[in-house]
Amino acid sequence: MMETIMVLFIFFILVVMGFVFYAKILKGNLEQQKEESIQLNAIEVAQRASSLPELQCSEDNIVSDNCIDLLKLEAASEIMQQNDVYYYDRLLFSKITVNEIYPDNNEWILYIRPLDEFSNKITTNIPISLFNPIENKNSFGIMTVELFLK
Amino acid sequence: MKSRTRENQKFSVNEKTSKKFSVSKKLQRNFLGSRKFTKFSRKSQTEIIGLAIVVVLLIIGMTFVIRFMLAKEPVDYKKQFTQAEIASNMLNTFLKSTSKDCNGLTMTELLQDCGHSKSILCENNQGSCDYAEETAREVFSNTLDIWNLDYEFKAFQQEESPIFTLGSPCPASKKSKTFPIPTGSGTLFVKLDVCG
Repeated sequence: MMETIMVLFIFFILVVMGFVFYAKILKGNLEQQKEESIQLNAIEVAQRASSLPELQCSEDNIVSDNCIDLLKLEAASEIMQQNDVYYYDRLLFSKITVNEIYPDNNEWILYIRPLDEFSNKITTNIPISLFNPIENKNSFGIMTVELFLK
Repeated sequence: MKSRTRENQKFSVNEKTSKKFSVSKKLQRNFLGSRKFTKFSRKSQTEIIGLAIVVVLLIIGMTFVIRFMLAKEPVDYKKQFTQAEIASNMLNTFLKSTSKDCNGLTMTELLQDCGHSKSILCENNQGSCDYAEETAREVFSNTLDIWNLDYEFKAFQQEESPIFTLGSPCPASKKSKTFPIPTGSGTLFVKLDVCG
């Protein structure tokens, strides 16, 4: 009788240990998946921001990649900040700025909807060409997308 | 004689019963032995099953441990995307950029001249090669250096003898992008390696 009780006791200890180990691994996997999902979210927002039709350069209805029209940028920075609720679906809680690095130094805030209390902030920098259609000149710019997470 | 016979018969009867008795005893012994054997074999079978269950549990446990130990490394999607995007976009944007004070020429035009005749003299009395190199240095120091990304940027017609190089070679993995620029004397290549 005693022998059976001991065997059962050890058996249940082993089962409990197995469950604890499994739960730990499962938790680690979930955290990893969450981190991956956050990263994919950040990439998605960055890609959406860099390819907004409101900013894209175009000539004869042909869109050029990786280019922002400066005139559109100036107009959009005002409009997008006024209509941040409309853009929330696409850009979530984020701050999008465009900086001119060369030849001059300028900054435009395109969209700002930060979280008051955030646990994490993911910043993505995208080199982008800033096209001035009046002077027909291109500048070197950086679009910075900061995504705030709860 | 009768009695003898009877006695004999009796005797024979007794003999029969004793024979019967001895047979039944044998059978009984055999029966008891087999019962004992069955009891023992049943017990050992149970023990073997118990042992088998323990072994199966251990194998399952080990499988789980090995599976999770060999689990794939977390994929850094953002890093991969950023590096690939940066290598390509940096070069593309840099080559499209218009110079500050060099007759409104783009970096591509300056590098074309640098790889061919070197005839352009900019407003600050710099040649096309020096101007392009200085501009690249300015741009990269305000971007990749600030973001703490290691890189190697070079312009060359033959990779062994580059026209200019910025940064240092990547020790391990890198994301690389090369843009060919046609010139009057062959093709000039502009290459950016982003390390990591």
